[in-house]
Amino acid sequence: MKADRPKHIGARVQRFEDTRLLSGSARYIDDIRLPDMLHLSFVRADTAHANIVEIDTSALADLEYATWVFTGKDTAGLSMKAHQDYPEMQYSEQPLLAEGKVRFVGEPVAVVLAEDAYRAEDAAELVFVDYETLPVIGTMAQARDSSLPSLFDGWASNVIVQRQMKGGDLEAAKAAAAHVIKRTYSTQRQAGVPMECRGVVASYDHADRVLTVWSSTQMPHLVRTYISEELDLPESRIRVVAPDVGGGFGVKGQVFGDEVLVAWLAMKTGRPVKWIEDRREHLIASIHARDHQHTLEAYVSADGRLLGLKADITVDNGAYSTFPFTSAGEPGMVGKVLPGPYDFQAYEATFRAVATNKCAIGTYRGVARPSAVFSQERLMDDIAKELGMDPFDFRLKNIIRQFPYKNVLGFSYDEGSYAQSLEQMQALLAEDVTEAAASRSSSTKRVGVGIACFIEQTAHGTPDFTRRRVPIETGYIAARVEMSPDGEVTIDLGLQNHGQGLETTMAQVAADALGVNPENVYVRHGDTLTTPYSVGTWGSRGGALGGGAVHLASLKLAAKLKTIAAHLLQAKPDEIELANGNAYVRDAVQRFIPIRKLARAALRNVDQLPEGMQPGLEAEQRQDGPKDGTYSNAVHAAVVEIDIPTGKMKLRRFVVVEDCGTILNPLVVDGQVRGGVVQGIGSAMFEHFIYDAECQPLTTSFADYLMPLAPEIPNIEVHHIETPTPLTPLGAKGLGEGGAIGPAAAIANAVANALDVGVSCTPLNTNAIWKLSQHLRGAA
Amino acid sequence: MRPASFEYHRATSLEHALELLGEFGENGRPIAGGQSLVPMMNFRLARPGHLVDINRLPLDAIEIAGPVLRIGALTRHIAYFDNPWIARHFPAFLDAVHYIGHPTIRRNGSIGGSISHADPTAELPAISVLYDADIVARSVTGERRIKAQEFFLSAYVTALEPGEMVVAVEFPIPPAASTGSFIELGERSGDFATASIGISLEHGGGKIVRAAMVCCGADLFPMRAPEVEDFLVGKPLVNPSGAEAGCIFAASIDPVDDHIASADYRRGLIAELTHRAIEAACTRALDKS
Ligand SMILES: Cc1cc2nc3c(=O)[nH]c(=O)nc-3n(C[C@H](O)[C@H](O)[C@H](O)COP(=O)(O)OP(=O)(O)OC[C@H]3O[C@@H](n4cnc5c(N)ncnc54)[C@H](O)[C@@H]3O)c2cc1C
Repeated sequence: MKADRPKHIGARVQRFEDTRLLSGSARYIDDIRLPDMLHLSFVRADTAHANIVEIDTSALADLEYATWVFTGKDTAGLSMKAHQDYPEMQYSEQPLLAEGKVRFVGEPVAVVLAEDAYRAEDAAELVFVDYETLPVIGTMAQARDSSLPSLFDGWASNVIVQRQMKGGDLEAAKAAAAHVIKRTYSTQRQAGVPMECRGVVASYDHADRVLTVWSSTQMPHLVRTYISEELDLPESRIRVVAPDVGGGFGVKGQVFGDEVLVAWLAMKTGRPVKWIEDRREHLIASIHARDHQHTLEAYVSADGRLLGLKADITVDNGAYSTFPFTSAGEPGMVGKVLPGPYDFQAYEATFRAVATNKCAIGTYRGVARPSAVFSQERLMDDIAKELGMDPFDFRLKNIIRQFPYKNVLGFSYDEGSYAQSLEQMQALLAEDVTEAAASRSSSTKRVGVGIACFIEQTAHGTPDFTRRRVPIETGYIAARVEMSPDGEVTIDLGLQNHGQGLETTMAQVAADALGVNPENVYVRHGDTLTTPYSVGTWGSRGGALGGGAVHLASLKLAAKLKTIAAHLLQAKPDEIELANGNAYVRDAVQRFIPIRKLARAALRNVDQLPEGMQPGLEAEQRQDGPKDGTYSNAVHAAVVEIDIPTGKMKLRRFVVVEDCGTILNPLVVDGQVRGGVVQGIGSAMFEHFIYDAECQPLTTSFADYLMPLAPEIPNIEVHHIETPTPLTPLGAKGLGEGGAIGPAAAIANAVANALDVGVSCTPLNTNAIWKLSQHLRGAA
Repeated sequence: MRPASFEYHRATSLEHALELLGEFGENGRPIAGGQSLVPMMNFRLARPGHLVDINRLPLDAIEIAGPVLRIGALTRHIAYFDNPWIARHFPAFLDAVHYIGHPTIRRNGSIGGSISHADPTAELPAISVLYDADIVARSVTGERRIKAQEFFLSAYVTALEPGEMVVAVEFPIPPAASTGSFIELGERSGDFATASIGISLEHGGGKIVRAAMVCCGADLFPMRAPEVEDFLVGKPLVNPSGAEAGCIFAASIDPVDDHIASADYRRGLIAELTHRAIEAACTRALDKS
């Protein structure tokens, strides 16, 4: 007889953390209030490029309340250094507070501290900065014009880094091609917009020489390491806590200068210091994303086979390099991922980041891939159109079907469901395709169908970061699992949970290995005091690698429980099964002992342990990523309806077929996909961070920076295919970012289909659609 | 994004509010729903030294006063939604309020606040211009009526004097044989309009007898379109030449060009919305008769 073993992995478990998050009892950074706390307000550059002639703080002396003011002179030498060790890369640093020069609107120039946040903001207005303005570098073209002055002393030009990747024989591919299709595509600059802005609180305990920093971050350990190195403090005496984080989306997945600065100020003033970013600061000066231009040239045989691809990629990086992914990260990612899910063996990409007087590009959900997939998938449709082929047929002809597949750059793809997902999508869209074709006769209302087929390298680990020479350096995720004498389980997780459902999924994983219920597993995270060192939650790695670490650590603990059970039940350890809170003898379920009794034996009644066994029930595991990561795949589809006279576009349908390997919890996967898709819709249709010719930002509040709103979002249909990977312990692949990667391409393809035009850029807002449909309005 | 410091006063009666506003002059401001003023203060674009909270004043009546519909300044946007009388007599009004913001904003925002804030594409200012409403303003020195067309001077600039506040807006009740419509288009639902068009018609014998048209998005305040109004007189309700009217109007304007919409797009859009609003109003007239 076999014990009935519930399986928690894969179950639709409602998220445990939602009780806290939805009832208003979560604790965010702004909820941290300490005695004697000072509040910080930044004085930020209001001009994009200028020498600082003078900073006059004398007006503060006349105030009736106390203020503390600091400028770049006080913090001289402290800076953010984010460099990738390529010989081609030009080095720059961003001082914590500007020293001598400002390079974008929003750059911190000074800080004012006061007893309350209102007074700090009042006082900051009184700081007068005299600027000598300099001409700006405002566009990619200006940045590539080597006759214009460089943003940093000692730089040869404003091209920060330019590199190349290639594989196969591109000349031969070109020679064999019957069609050469060349197009330029671009995606607009965006802000990354979590609901909660950023914020930092720091407090220094002089007695114990311990610095505590609370930060709304996705990577508390990395913040600790950076502060330690920059402020020259032992890491053992720094505690970084990420409290509940109200969305991160990669924006909070970098270490920011303000995190170091607030820590430094707490030490300097001897009082706790708090800074809560406001929305304007967030929009102009945290990080930006996308802002790419790609010129692609495809070589295609007469019968529609993709033979080779040549790419030229430029990213408008803004002024500074962000830590730890640097300004080389974004263009490098495009060069790496453009080959995508298609089978061809000749490729060459030249990619560069250029410096302009704008906010720096950082990581935002999808990281370069929404732009790369936009170009890749627009190109596939443009080729299909040129060849007179159906977009599905053209893709199915070129899609990779044999796994593992070694791509043109040498990356190994583990098994996926590329063709299957395309075929499934084709069936799901049959009626819409017919309707779209029928609408071609109308000059007032058009329907369009567009797809985006893509893969995503996920669960990157140390080998990938070593290859990229990126200062993150390492990629493992650690978990410690501990059982207390009452049989309850605690997981201390190196990940930080900010919407991924980790407090639930990790409990499900541990519960399966330990034979307990997920409700009995308490997942702690985000505090360097309690959690083992890891580099944080980002890059679609949490479920695959964090889940793997929890699984393997739990198995170690389970092994010890089984040994104790075997001893007490007079059986062999490999005859023991853990399920439903009990340890059973397999095939003799009447011989069992509650797991909580084993825990008590291990920790309190230790005289019951087998001879020589150490007391205690804990295990730790670090899980790194496979050499080339593991590849998730998906097909996204959009059905749009366009009112030709006004340009108004309605998203009628959005469909996702996705494969992220083993599904830990379908509710969480659906939520991650849908949330990502909504952000992708934002990229496709609404969000645009705009600078004018002088690099003054124009979209500095939600009145101008348009986020997608609920009424604009259709029901997002999600279909799953499960192809577990052999490369991670549970077969899970990453999925956090995928939702945001496909929509811009799918929607653009739908627009191209509806209007029978080429679409080369986003956002496809009403004005853009109106322009694209000009030819359908006749002479008007 | 925190307001500069200010003093808060809660007005206990209209007289009290006027006294306070008179005393503070330029440095004082009434606060109603706060849906426009509070964001402006947080951005420090508005820095009133004194806020006079008028929310407790009994100024939220919607009443028929002889030939006019009188709407108290504190009437919230939500109040019109289930009012069949307004739907019947002021169809363009009811169309328009459906485009205002989102439920929270409609529950808080007031007509007095919207009119006084004078956002160039806000719906209630446009509607007051369309229907030739009187803005009833009061100060310690007395009451005056300002024609809506003379009230909106530019973006966020009105004819109100310091110390003065809006107590009501009075809309002349159109004759029985009349109808109207209001159409707008924005980037997202609830956004301020990229452009909007309101039409009010009197008709008889299957023809338009009198027409009024208002447009937002063409200038920095809601503007009337006299050339279209003249053009429409005498046009049949069936096929009223709306497209032509749209072209006539579009040729006469010089719309705003900004990062949401180019001037060209706005011109094209305004022509199309003019066409659609006229068609919609005429269709309503035909349905009624
Ligand atoms: C996200 C968002 C979306 C919105 N979308 C729209 C929209 O689509 N269309 C639209 O029309 N509006 C929109 N609004 C604005 C909303 O309608 C406001 O309610 C309205 O503009 C102001 O009304 P209020 O009562 O909130 O005024 P308040 O914000 O309190 O005041 C606004 C101004 O009017 C003054 N004031 C208020 N009452 C009086 C009075 N009786 N006499 C003299 N001065 C007075 C104040 O001093 C202030 O200067 C939106 C607002 C938000 C936040």
